[in-house]
Amino acid sequence: MSLLGGGIVKGMAVTLRNFVGSYFNKERLVTNDYAWRPKEDAELPQSAGQYPKEEGEQLSDTTTVTNYSRNFPMLLHDGKEGDTPMDTVRCVACQICERECPPQCIYIEKMYDENGKYIKSPAKFDIDVSVCMSCQICVEVCPFDAIVMNSQFELSTPDRFGGLLLRRDDLLKSNDYYHQIHPGEAAARDQRMADEKAAKEAKKKAAAEAAKKKAAEKAKAEAEAKAKEAEAAQAEGAEEKSEPEGGDSKEATE
Amino acid sequence: MTQETAFYLLAIIAVLAAVTAVRLRNLIHGVFALVIFFAALAGLFLLLMAQFIAAVQVLVYIGAVGILLLFAIMLTERVTGDDGRRITSRGGFWGATAALGVAVFVLLPGIQQTDLNRLPAELAEANATAADANATMAPPHTVEALGKRLIEPYIITLEVVALLLTAALIGAVAVSQGARRVEDEEEASP
Amino acid sequence: MSWELIRDILITTVPLLVIFPSLFAFTTWIERKALARIQNRIGPNKTGVPCTRISLFGLGQPAADGIKMLFKEDIVPKGADRLFHLLAPIVALIPAMLVLCFLPLEFPWAKFVQAPVQAFLLDGAVIFFFAITGLNTLAVFMAGWASRNKYSLLGGMRAIAQMVSYEIPLVLSAVIVVMLVGSLNAADIAAAQKGYQWHLFTPWGLAAFVIFFIAALAETNRSPFDLPEAESELIAGYFTEYSGFKFALFFLGEYIAMFAISGLAVTLFLGAGEGPGVAAVPALSVAWFIAKIFALIGIMIWLRGTLPRLRVDQLMAFAWKFLLPLSILNILIAGFAWHVAKSGAGTGLKAVVWIASLITLYAVARGLNRISRPEAAPREYKYAE
Ligand code: SF4
Ligand code: SF4
Repeated sequence: MSLLGGGIVKGMAVTLRNFVGSYFNKERLVTNDYAWRPKEDAELPQSAGQYPKEEGEQLSDTTTVTNYSRNFPMLLHDGKEGDTPMDTVRCVACQICERECPPQCIYIEKMYDENGKYIKSPAKFDIDVSVCMSCQICVEVCPFDAIVMNSQFELSTPDRFGGLLLRRDDLLKSNDYYHQIHPGEAAARDQRMADEKAAKEAKKKAAAEAAKKKAAEKAKAEAEAKAKEAEAAQAEGAEEKSEPEGGDSKEATE
Repeated sequence: MTQETAFYLLAIIAVLAAVTAVRLRNLIHGVFALVIFFAALAGLFLLLMAQFIAAVQVLVYIGAVGILLLFAIMLTERVTGDDGRRITSRGGFWGATAALGVAVFVLLPGIQQTDLNRLPAELAEANATAADANATMAPPHTVEALGKRLIEPYIITLEVVALLLTAALIGAVAVSQGARRVEDEEEASP
Repeated sequence: MSWELIRDILITTVPLLVIFPSLFAFTTWIERKALARIQNRIGPNKTGVPCTRISLFGLGQPAADGIKMLFKEDIVPKGADRLFHLLAPIVALIPAMLVLCFLPLEFPWAKFVQAPVQAFLLDGAVIFFFAITGLNTLAVFMAGWASRNKYSLLGGMRAIAQMVSYEIPLVLSAVIVVMLVGSLNAADIAAAQKGYQWHLFTPWGLAAFVIFFIAALAETNRSPFDLPEAESELIAGYFTEYSGFKFALFFLGEYIAMFAISGLAVTLFLGAGEGPGVAAVPALSVAWFIAKIFALIGIMIWLRGTLPRLRVDQLMAFAWKFLLPLSILNILIAGFAWHVAKSGAGTGLKAVVWIASLITLYAVARGLNRISRPEAAPREYKYAE
């Protein structure tokens, strides 16, 4: 027998505890000091702080924004920071993210060489960040780990259409930069990619070995069959035909 | 002076709003014109120092009837209320003639017979007695008087009206329930 | 119209028109701060005195918001009913402002007024209050319909259904007080509770207050009854298509309506302007009145931070199957208790009536709660599996 309206009172007690607690326990203020972060992240910048600390201050260095901020997507390449080499870009313009993006703010065009051959990288990759809702679905669906979230937030612009449409070259960021802003996530992703690659290679190797083994076995079986055929030929006079058949069926089961 | 101005102002608003309510093509606009008419009528009641009636006018006619009309329109017509049809397009001539006839033969004699000077005099008297009692210009206690009348001499009438309304309410529920049951059966039968 | 009358009208109405809108600004700040703290955030803390770095706990935020609203583009959707789109916020604000005059706020300067023009001296102040707050529904419908937007119209329809349903328990619980006092006059009701005989302190008064408060939450579209303006379902419902100053007017109207209805609750149940020190300094009564309004608004904010939104069927079932029967029963109990008290019964009998009515109300409320709850059947999907 619970009291009538007891649930409401209980809920209100919870919110009251939060209300009062937030004045005394600074660790509750999750948006302020990041005091709740695990100890191993201690060397990271502790917080964005109070944004314009000084008049005219700019926080364009996004690394100060902490490990935990996710804003808009960026495209990864494996080249050096600063340059935008198209040959190391991970994206293959498969357009999976374009199709999955809920508000449809990604626009991709494939790149073709002069012969009209698809060369597996994007000619155009635009994200309209005024539409993007930072859902990270593109990150989740990308099979090539080519798109991840950036934490760049100083995107204000006087041009509300062109200025908020990020082009491919604005989006290209190096993997080193990714390691800088989201070290944990980047390391985990690299690890996973390496694991996947290793697994793939292992699998390939295994497959190759299996193929080799199979080939070897086949060769052996063939040799046996030949030997038997030879035997059979030798024993032609005895008129025994069953053995080569048995050898055939064995091969077929393999 | 001010009372007269207010009266004419309200009267003109009421008549205009009533005509607009009937003439408008868009049903929802029509309802709102009707609401304005009700409000003007409430103002007229206030001018006659009938506060309670004015309040009830606002409460019942604007708050209930107006909303009910909107609901009815939203549930029956296309929700925009604007489907180009006009309910009052026919018989406008005869309607106008009838209205004029009523105005000439019923209302005008009534208005002529009313002694318009009597009312303000009575009000002044009431105010004077109230002023004696409170030494301020408190409004006369119309609600109390009305309540007493309703409970003492007219209690049977009140109860009968209440019963009638309750019966109507139950009837409405029964009708809608019955309709639904038929629908259910129809749905269930095939 | 005489010069004195105009002066008197100004003296009695201008304070209302100044005090409550400024309290509105303050309330938005309180609400944002309190909700932020409930969610373990800080809330606005930057905006203070302009052109300096004095932040004053973000108290400049309402002013900044106001300026922002003023300069925003006023967008009227294509195909909208321009006239109604313009009129709706005005119609929303006027009744809310109008009913403030029915609150028995005894301003000290009212003494200098010759003819008391305060509307709360009106004989039928309480019934006028309900009549005029009912107009708010029309404004909501107007806004929803004139925007020519599905979400707005849905919000408007929800609002009408909700307001019409909750007006009944609201009025029925106010009827108890009117019955006990025997007057519809706000000043009489306030006077009847002198000496801490607040209606809140009786079982039927307490029940009526709780019903009144819940219905008031629904009437003012506060959460958990904020279905008409549910951001996550209807993208703000009937004012989806409003921006700039029209939106600000809606917002203002909503908060003023909150003040007004809390003020009525204070008048009916919480002894109006009564409080310690009022006997010595009569001017304190206004301060007490406003403090009590703020206490109620604080509870509203607290509830907003606590409760999730109701479903439409829950909302209707709660009004018609729980609040309505309970408030009718409450009227019967209050009438009975009034007769017992009037017949000059002793303290013992009164105590028995008190305890009996408390137990009855609680038991009936429990029972109603059990039977009125819409069943929580598992959701059936039509297309997905
Ligand atoms: S970012 Fe990923 S999912 Fe999107 S087109 Fe490039 S490779 Fe495909
Ligand atoms: S984060 Fe979401 S909305 Fe933004 S681009 Fe990726 S999928 Fe689209």
